[in-house]
Formats: sequence, C-alpha cells, structure tokens
Amino acid sequence: MVRTALTPPRRIGQGPSPFAAYLPAVTVVAASLLAALPIVSTSGWYPDFGYLVFISWRLLRADPWPPWWAAALGFVNDLFTGYPIGFSIALWSATMLAIDLIDRRTMWRDYWIEWVLAAVLITFDEWLQWRIAGIAGAAPPFAQMVPPAVISIGLFPVFAWMISHIDRWRLGR
Amino acid sequence: MSRLSLVAGLGPRAVATARPGWSRRAQYGLFFSFVAVIAGIIVGVILLTLSLVAPTTFASVRGAALDVTGPIAGALHEVTATTEGIFTGAGNYWDAASQNAELKRERQAMLRRMVEAMAIFQENRQLKATLQLRERERSTVAVGRIVGSSFNSPRRFAILSVGSSDGVQVGMPVRSPDGLVGRIIDAGALASRVLLVSDRANIVPARLLRNGIPVIAQGRGDGAIDVRPLEVGRNPFKRGDIIITSGTGGLYPPLVPIARIVKLDDDGAVALPLADPETTSFAIVELPFEPTAVAAETAPPAADAP
Repeated sequence: MVRTALTPPRRIGQGPSPFAAYLPAVTVVAASLLAALPIVSTSGWYPDFGYLVFISWRLLRADPWPPWWAAALGFVNDLFTGYPIGFSIALWSATMLAIDLIDRRTMWRDYWIEWVLAAVLITFDEWLQWRIAGIAGAAPPFAQMVPPAVISIGLFPVFAWMISHIDRWRLGR
Repeated sequence: MSRLSLVAGLGPRAVATARPGWSRRAQYGLFFSFVAVIAGIIVGVILLTLSLVAPTTFASVRGAALDVTGPIAGALHEVTATTEGIFTGAGNYWDAASQNAELKRERQAMLRRMVEAMAIFQENRQLKATLQLRERERSTVAVGRIVGSSFNSPRRFAILSVGSSDGVQVGMPVRSPDGLVGRIIDAGALASRVLLVSDRANIVPARLLRNGIPVIAQGRGDGAIDVRPLEVGRNPFKRGDIIITSGTGGLYPPLVPIARIVKLDDDGAVALPLADPETTSFAIVELPFEPTAVAAETAPPAADAP
C-alpha cells in the first residue's frame, strides 16, 4: 500500500522500453568500451568501468541478464580493456555466483551493505589483477593497487545511482 | 529441491529467498543457471591459463578488438588534441614578447651547441671510417599517434594508431623523437598495443650516457623506471643522468635515450621516461635492430605478453 502511494503516477501509454531485456547488458558493454577513451595515464588509477557497471546492475536486481551472459560480457570486457583473455570471464561468472549465494544468506539489504559488498568485490578484482600481473612477470608492489581500489570503491555509489536511474527509465517508471 | 541445495552447497534453510516452488520447470531453470555460471568460471580459468602460458593463442582476436577500439580512440584523441591546442595556442599569445626574447636567447645557445655537435659528428664519422664500423640503416616501419592506454590496469600498455596494414608486427621497437617508448605486443590491422618501458615486464639493456656503465632498466608500473647497474658495487648514478639503450639483445637499437634519473636508492635509481606517453604526439615503429636475434628470442614470449 505504501509502495503504491510512493510510486509516481504513471502516464498513459508509458511502459517498458522495447529493448528493456537487453539494456543492462548494453550498458555493461558501453562501460567496457570506455577503455577506448583517449586517456593516456601512466598510473593506472582509473576504475574498471565494466566491472563497476556489472556489479551495480547485479546488486540492484537479481535478474538483469541470464546468468551465463556474465561470461560473454566478461569476454567483451577482456577484449576491449586488454586484460588477459579469460580474466573477466572467470571473475564476472564467479561474481554472479557469489552474489547469488550472498542473496540467499542476507535477510535484508540497505545502501551500506550494498556498498560493503561492492567494496569487497572491487578489492577482490584489484587483488586478482595484481596476482595475474605477477604471474605474467609484472607484479607491482601491492601498495600500488590501493589507490585504484579506493577510487573504484568511492565511485561505486555514483555508478549505482546511474544504474538505478537507467533501470527506472528502461522499465518506464 | 535437495539436488539444488547440493549443487549450490547450501543447507535446506538457505534456499528460502530463491525458492523455485513446486514447478519442475522453475527448479530446472535455477539448476541450469547455476551449472551455466560454474561452466563460465571454468571456461574463464582455462582461457586465462591459456593466455598466460601461450599468449599468442588469442593474437587474432585481440588484434580484431584493437581494430574496433583503436579508431574510436583515435577520433576522440583528435577532438581532445584540437581542443587543447586551441587553449595552449591562446595561452602562447598571452606573453608573446617575453617568450620571444627567451626563445631568441635559447636559439643563440642552441646554435653554439649545434656547431660543437657538427664538429663531433664529423670527427665521429672519421673515427668510424678508420675502424671500418658499418652503420646499420635505421628503417622506419610506420609513424603513428599514441591514442589510448591501459588506464585501469596495473600493466602499462599504450594503443598506437598504426597496425599490421602499415607493416607493424609484434616485437617491433617503438620510439619517439624524445626517446624509447616500448615495443609492440599486439597488432591489429588498424591499431596496435605497445608494452611501455614503464611496464614491469619490460626490461631494457641500457647504459649510462655519462660514462657508458652498463645498466638494466625495468619499469615500475607507475610510470617510472627502476635502473640497476649490471655490476654490483658502488652506486654509479647521479641525479639528472641520462640512460640510453645499449643495443644488447638485438631488439632495441642502441643510443636511443630512455630516461632521466630523478632519485637514487640503495642499489640503483628511479628514472622518468624521456618519451612521456602522455605528451608524446608521434611514435615511430622501427624494425628490430638485429632481426635474427629477436626472432629466436620472441618465439616463446611467455614472460612479457599480457
């Protein structure tokens, strides 16, 4: 009852956008494509845009895409960002599984829990990147991975806010 | 239901939030989604292992992806460069008079240095003739612009706007007029990826310009370079020293400036690349200095490809 009262009045003829089912995946690919921005940085402190959008969608909804799409989206991210192929495929699939399991355990969620979850996932992402770079013979000291992790964690609420707006728009609410 | 709990490794009470009900279809749907995600993880790990152990496996796919992003980055780079150009251009007019005077002074100084350099150059040529040293022709393969980088990764790559259609191949050294940039590790038809000298996996045999002491330059991953002397002993570095390539190993041509030393530490020094990829406008792709030596070496490039 409260929820009905809180939803804004729907205009006649307004409904989900025709590509509503595909829009989440499209936004993730678009975020991966941000790797094509003409930014030449020698510090590597920019966030992993694709992953931020990916976890923003998954934390907002349980069903943004069929679970196996995670592997395909990860493959696209690997191709565009230049990560070793397979890195995002494995990480993003594992993220789907991890959040599914967490969803079963948690009784309730709020902004803070979501942010903490995102922080854990982002930290794991940065740690894994560091490990992979180490295996490829290019391990920087771990302290060098702290600034990008902090920046990504700080940016997560912004991405979550954007994704929630896109979600409302796509469902025509 | 019990099968589902087993797959997800959960106790019976945990299924409460994602209970598929009594519908067989829903139960199987949930079950197969778990199977699909686990299969995704396994495929990802296999591919990751492959790309770490045998980096050339995905060369064509990575090249094709570069051909998608490279031109986009190039076009955007064009826009930002023009915008920046307008602002710096306007800034240059701001105090043109004092700039003019300063430039004239610099020009005088440069002229004097140039005459000295000409004399040294001639002397050098005579000495080389007497030693009967053969100068190898430096051959430019292609000239491109640095249009992007791996700005969200601990690795240091740059994207170059020339690819295999211009003759660029994996393993070729890249330099700019200021100094060494790195070497090609992925080549698409229209764009290529460069392993910068500031990447941890890029180790360049070098020497000090001041006294010719052989050193090793290795990237630090944060835009700077670690320099270590080959012989253990006294730290031979001074602040402001220039490091140049030695040509050992046959990949990089000799006498290309790499970096300037900015800080000394216990057994070496930290240097900043002279060819800063953030400000380098043009990069030149060259043939490997000693192609035969490189061919033998780059056949299994396990350690330095992504």
